[in-house]
Amino acid sequence: MRELAGSVWLLIKRVMTGAVVGVTISDRFECVATMHGGSMEPTLHSGGNEPFGYLKADLLYLDKMSLRNYTFSRGDVVVFRSPLEPKMWLVKRLIALPSDWVTVPGTYEILQVPKGHCWVEGDNAEVSFDSKSFGPIPLALLKGRVTNVIWPPSRFGHVENRLPEGRVLSQNRGTSTYS
Amino acid sequence: MRELVGSAWLFVKRVMAGAVVGVTISDRFGSVATMHGGSMEPTLHPGGNEPFGYLKADLLYLDKLSLRNYNNFVRGDVVVFRSPLEPKMWLVKRLIALQGDWVTVPGTYEILQVPKGHCWVEGDNAEVSLDSKSFGPIPLALLKGRVTNVIWPPSRFGRVESHLPEGRVLSQNRGMRP
Repeated sequence: MRELAGSVWLLIKRVMTGAVVGVTISDRFECVATMHGGSMEPTLHSGGNEPFGYLKADLLYLDKMSLRNYTFSRGDVVVFRSPLEPKMWLVKRLIALPSDWVTVPGTYEILQVPKGHCWVEGDNAEVSFDSKSFGPIPLALLKGRVTNVIWPPSRFGHVENRLPEGRVLSQNRGTSTYS
Repeated sequence: MRELVGSAWLFVKRVMAGAVVGVTISDRFGSVATMHGGSMEPTLHPGGNEPFGYLKADLLYLDKLSLRNYNNFVRGDVVVFRSPLEPKMWLVKRLIALQGDWVTVPGTYEILQVPKGHCWVEGDNAEVSLDSKSFGPIPLALLKGRVTNVIWPPSRFGRVESHLPEGRVLSQNRGMRP
């Protein structure tokens, strides 16, 4: 019982207001993660903030094969270590790849994504803590793609690759993957 | 024979001028890496650019336990990390400054504050090193281990010292590990 309460407390500590996602990845072969935070609504649901809330959270299946050659596509939902907190994991949608031009929301600027970097945003723009705040991130921080929701059964299914319209100008239109 | 040539060719492809390290990481506690490139001379030696040159390169022991808690990285440590410009490439450099520190940018009169969650890395061989002088501070999350020892060749066997160049860094918390 104490062990369970101890684990619950550890998980609760990871839940933060705003757009923070704590993903439990304990092993490089482990391909399952729990969604925390509301930054990817309505695509992915987190549990509530109450104790044992994580039991209601979406359980995500992660594809790590794309790490072999960093074959990520624009529109993929990706998992990565936070550039501001190395122990924290975030899950966001990959919007732009190196050398793409991306519009910065809330401004009239467009920004070119540097070599080796990418631009990530949460589907729930209001609460999402993402590239709008910390800028482009190195692709080397990416640790997998979210391909499926595997729990709860009512939400079981594929996580679609989807790109918002009119946000990205790519130089290499035909290919959407980095390799 | 063909297999050996095939492996040798793979290794040669990984050797690039500047600061490239080919690392095979199979374990989360510690592993071994081969030094490529001259960016960490004279601390670490690469092999030559000729075929089988990697046989003469320093073999490095990497401590991965410091990854458990990123606070265990100390200014002056030699660290291994994925390149922010080429995600498939590994680099080895010395950690000069941590988040919140002010670091002097060589070749300019500027000082720069290292952002939250980031660090500043430089190779000991400043002239050929591709490091933070070029790509700026990097997220700590890119770090994958500390180089603690050279384990080959036997003549260079020994500890890799953690040492910090004088007068480069102004830290807000001088006496403490961050």
